[in-house]
Amino acid sequence: MEMTEKIEETAREIGARVRPQIDEAKRRLTGYNDSAIGYIKENPGKCLVGAVAIGFLIGKLASRRG
Amino acid sequence: METGSENPPNGRAAAGDGAKKVGKRVERVGHTAEQVWDRTRDSVSDFGEALDIKGRVDRNPYGTVAAAIGIGYVLGGGLFTPLTGRLVRLGLGIGMRLAVLPLLKREVAELIESIDEDDDGKSKSKANANKGR
Repeated sequence: MEMTEKIEETAREIGARVRPQIDEAKRRLTGYNDSAIGYIKENPGKCLVGAVAIGFLIGKLASRRG
Repeated sequence: METGSENPPNGRAAAGDGAKKVGKRVERVGHTAEQVWDRTRDSVSDFGEALDIKGRVDRNPYGTVAAAIGIGYVLGGGLFTPLTGRLVRLGLGIGMRLAVLPLLKREVAELIESIDEDDDGKSKSKANANKGR
């Protein structure tokens, strides 16, 4: 019983210590996602042409290897 | 009798006519090029409107970019390559897992519920039997 309580307490402590970092990482990722979506919406032509070019390069590399 | 730029004497006349003809032709070529450019621009804008690229990007930015990468990949000749096979297999695996996991979850939940109900029924019948004694 004591052992279980200890494990629970340790898990709680670790959770309390890690939670702020996880929240910060989540906040940062959300920020990156929002800025990426904003950039794509502002420059759709540039993004699509770039994406086609990237896909073309990947296809070329794949066909050379294959 | 007029002598001037319209009717220059001797060989100059031929040279002047040639220059005029070349000028006219250049003008015509320029005009045609302009028309071609206008038409191309119109068709490109019509094509863009028909595909509703801006709307698509607004609604689903990542999906549109992924589709563009896919189009580039096919144009680059990557369709019939081992990489495509690997990607398809990976996608199928993930899709199957996503589709099968909820089903499995539901089945397990139903199984647990039925076991619980069985246990309850057994304990009730035992209790009744004990009361009867």
